[in-house]
Amino acid sequence: MIDQSLYEEFRDIGRDIFVTGLTSSHGGNMSVRVGDKIIIKRRGAQFGRLKRTDFVETSFRGKDSGIIRASTELIVHRAIYEKTSALAVVHAHPRTAIVLSLSRDEIIPIDNEGSYLLRKIPVVTVEMASGSKEMAEKVSEALRGYKIVMQRGHGCFAIGQTLEEAYHWVSALEEVCDIILEHKLMGEPLIEYRKHSESYKNW
Amino acid sequence: MQGWAGKILDIDLSSGSIQTVPLDMEMARLFLGGRGLGARLLWDLVGPEVEPLSPENVLIFTTGPITASASQTSNRFNVSSKSPLTGTILHANSGGWWGMQFKRTGYDVLIVRGKAETPVMIEITPEGTAVKDASHLWGKTVFETTEALGQSRNKRNVLCIGPAGENLVRIAAIMNDKERSLARGGPGAVMGSKNLKAIVVEGKEKNEPEDKEQFKFLSYETGKLLKASPLTSQALPEFGTAVVMNVVNEIGALPTRNFQQSQFEGADDISGEAITDNILVKKQACWACPIACTRITKTTSGKEGEGPEFESSWAFGAQCGIDDLEVITEANYLCNDLGLDTISMGNTVGCAMELAEKGLVDADLGFGRADRLHDLIRDTAYRRGLGDEMAEGSYRLAAKYGAPELSMTVKKLELPAYDPRGMQGQGLVYATSNRGACHETGNMLGPEVLALPRLLDRFATQGKAGIVSVHQHSAAVIDSLVYCKFANMAVAEEFFARVLTAVTGIPYTADDLMIVGERVWTLERLYNLREGFTQADDTLPDRLLNEPVSDGPSKGHTARLAPMLEEYYAFRGWDKNGVPKPEKLRELGLDNLK
Repeated sequence: MIDQSLYEEFRDIGRDIFVTGLTSSHGGNMSVRVGDKIIIKRRGAQFGRLKRTDFVETSFRGKDSGIIRASTELIVHRAIYEKTSALAVVHAHPRTAIVLSLSRDEIIPIDNEGSYLLRKIPVVTVEMASGSKEMAEKVSEALRGYKIVMQRGHGCFAIGQTLEEAYHWVSALEEVCDIILEHKLMGEPLIEYRKHSESYKNW
Repeated sequence: MQGWAGKILDIDLSSGSIQTVPLDMEMARLFLGGRGLGARLLWDLVGPEVEPLSPENVLIFTTGPITASASQTSNRFNVSSKSPLTGTILHANSGGWWGMQFKRTGYDVLIVRGKAETPVMIEITPEGTAVKDASHLWGKTVFETTEALGQSRNKRNVLCIGPAGENLVRIAAIMNDKERSLARGGPGAVMGSKNLKAIVVEGKEKNEPEDKEQFKFLSYETGKLLKASPLTSQALPEFGTAVVMNVVNEIGALPTRNFQQSQFEGADDISGEAITDNILVKKQACWACPIACTRITKTTSGKEGEGPEFESSWAFGAQCGIDDLEVITEANYLCNDLGLDTISMGNTVGCAMELAEKGLVDADLGFGRADRLHDLIRDTAYRRGLGDEMAEGSYRLAAKYGAPELSMTVKKLELPAYDPRGMQGQGLVYATSNRGACHETGNMLGPEVLALPRLLDRFATQGKAGIVSVHQHSAAVIDSLVYCKFANMAVAEEFFARVLTAVTGIPYTADDLMIVGERVWTLERLYNLREGFTQADDTLPDRLLNEPVSDGPSKGHTARLAPMLEEYYAFRGWDKNGVPKPEKLRELGLDNLK
C-alpha cells in the first residue's frame, strides 16, 4: 500500500492543483506507477483534501477489483503507462487552456519560460470525452512525443518521472495560456524576440 | 553519411584478414549504435564458451548515428566485449576526439578478432587500413605510445593500451587521445591478450544531417538549455566533475575507507574547489562540447596532465583515507599513463589497506598511507609482488586472503563514489547494472541529490524501481547514440529524438528512444543470464546490506535492497527470478534471438 512519503506527495500536489484553480473540487485525477501496479486517486475524492484512504492500487495491465473505486480515467492512465515511459500522470482542467483548446489544434507559447519548457502543446479531439478507449488511445499516442497534451474542451494530461514533474507541466501550460489570452485581449501585434521561433510549429 | 555510414570494418588478427561488411540497417534502427549495437553484435559473436582473454573474444568499437554530427557532445564512442574482470557483458565509453575521427573514416563499427603472433597496431586512414608491426611500442606507456604515433587532435587520433593492458591486468583500461579512457571491466586486458597495442585513425568523411535546418534549430535550442542549466554552464566548467565531492559528503553518502564510513573529514581537500584553487592550469573540452569539464592540472613537482575527475579523486582519496590532493592527482596521471581504471584501482588499494589493517595480508599498508599509493599502482600495472594479486581486482584479491566480503564490488566490478546506504536508489542501480557495480548505467545522483529532474526522498524505496529503470533505459540510449551523460542533465530525450530524426531522416519520438533503451538493457540481461548469472548476483556487498552507517546524516541506514528489487523485477515484466518473461521479449523484438 501507499507509503507515507508517496502519500504526502499526492496530498500536497493535489492541494496545490486545487488551490491554484487548475481543477474544480472533485475534477481531474492523478496516479503513479509502482512496480507492476498503479496507485491512483479514487473516483470522487476531493483534490484538495486527499486522505490515505483516497487511493486505489490496481494492476498495470490485468483486471482486478480495484477498478471499482478507481478514477473514471483509469483506462487513460493505463494506456499512458503502457505506451510511454511515464512514471506519473496528472489530469486537470485548467480553464484558460480549455478555452484556447476550443479554437486551436496546437498551443504554441509566446512567453520565454513556456517556450523553454513546453515549445508546443498538441490538442486532440475525441468524441467520447471521458474515460473512453478512443480517448485513451489518442492521448497516450500524443504523449509519446510530448510531455503534456490538451484534450479539446476537457483538460490536459501531463506525464513525468514524478507527480511533481507532471504537475509542473500543468502549471506551466496554464501560465502559457493565460499569457496568450491576455496578449490577444490586449490586441497589439507580437514583437518576436525568439530566434528560430518559426521552428516551434514543427516541434 | 547521414547518421550511419552503413559499414563495419572487421579485422581478424589471427589470419590477418581485413574486411568491410555492410551494417545490418534493421539492426541499426533497433539498437542505434554505441553500446546497443555493440551488445547486439556481441550476442552473435561471443557465447558462454569463450574465455575473456582468449583469441575467441572480440573487441567491438562502435560509434552512434549522431557521432561526429557536431551536435553538442557528439564525440563519444563505445567498446563492447566480454569482461575478464566480471565475466559479464562489458561496455565502456569515452570522449575526446578518437570516436569522432573513427566515424570520419567511414565506418560505424570496428570488430577486432583473434590474436596477433607479435605486437601489432591498426592504422585506418583515407588511404586504407593496415595491420602494422608494433614491437617497438610494446612496453611503452600510454603517453609515450600516443606521442610516438603522432596524435594530432583534429587530424590523427591514437587509441592504445599501456603496460597494464599488456600484462593482462584485469582492471586495465584502453586509453584514447592520451588521457581519455574506456575503463570499466578491463577492456585493456582484452586488447593486450590480442597483442594489439594501438589503433590510429584519420578520417575525411562527414556525418551531415538529412534535415539541416531542423538540426540547426535543435543545436541552437540545445545550446540554450546547456547555458540555462547551472550544472552544465557553471558547476562543471568551473570545478569539473569533482564539484559534487562536497555535496555527496555533506549528505553522508561519500564512501570512506573502503565503505567503513560514509563521510570523509578530508573531502574538502580533494574537492573540485580544491582542484580549482590549487592545481588547475586550464579547463578543456572534448570535441563539439561546450561544457568543458576536463581539468588540466599541474602539481608542485612539475608533473602535468588531465584530472583528477570526481571518481578518481574519491577512489584514491576518501576510499583510501588519503587527503593529499597532489598525491591523488599524480596517482591519476600514473593510471592514465599505465592504462588503468582509476575507480577499480583505488578500490583495490582501499581493499588491500583494510586487509592489511585487519592482519589478513602481511604488508606495510593501511588507510591514509599516501606514501605507498604510487608504488602500489606501478606494481599492479607491472604485476610485481602484492601488485600481481591486486592486478586481479579487489574481489579476487580479497577472496585469496579469505575475506571476499571486504571487496566492495557487485559482480566483481568495484563500486563508484556513492554509498547506497545514503542513496537507496543508487544501491538498486549498482545491484542490477549489467556490467557490475556502475553509476553510469542509471545514475541516481540527479534525482536523489541534485534534484534533476526532481528531488526524491533519498531514503525512500517505494517507487524507486521505476525511476531507476527509466534512468537505466535513458543511459542505455545515450550510450547508443552516443552522447555524453552530462548533456542529459540539461537536455531531455525529447531533444535527442528530434536530433536523431534530423540527422537520419527516420522519425523517432522520445518514447521510441526509451524503448531502444529498454531493448538494450534487456539484451544485456539476457547475455548475462546466458553466461550463467542469476538473481543471486543482483546484490550488494554484505557491509552495505547489514552494517548501518555509524554517524552523520545517513546514520542508522543500511541499503534496503530487497523491496526495491522485488518492485524492479515486477516493473520490468521479469519473473521473480529476474528472468524477462516471453511476452516482454516479444514486446521488445528480442524473442527471435538465437
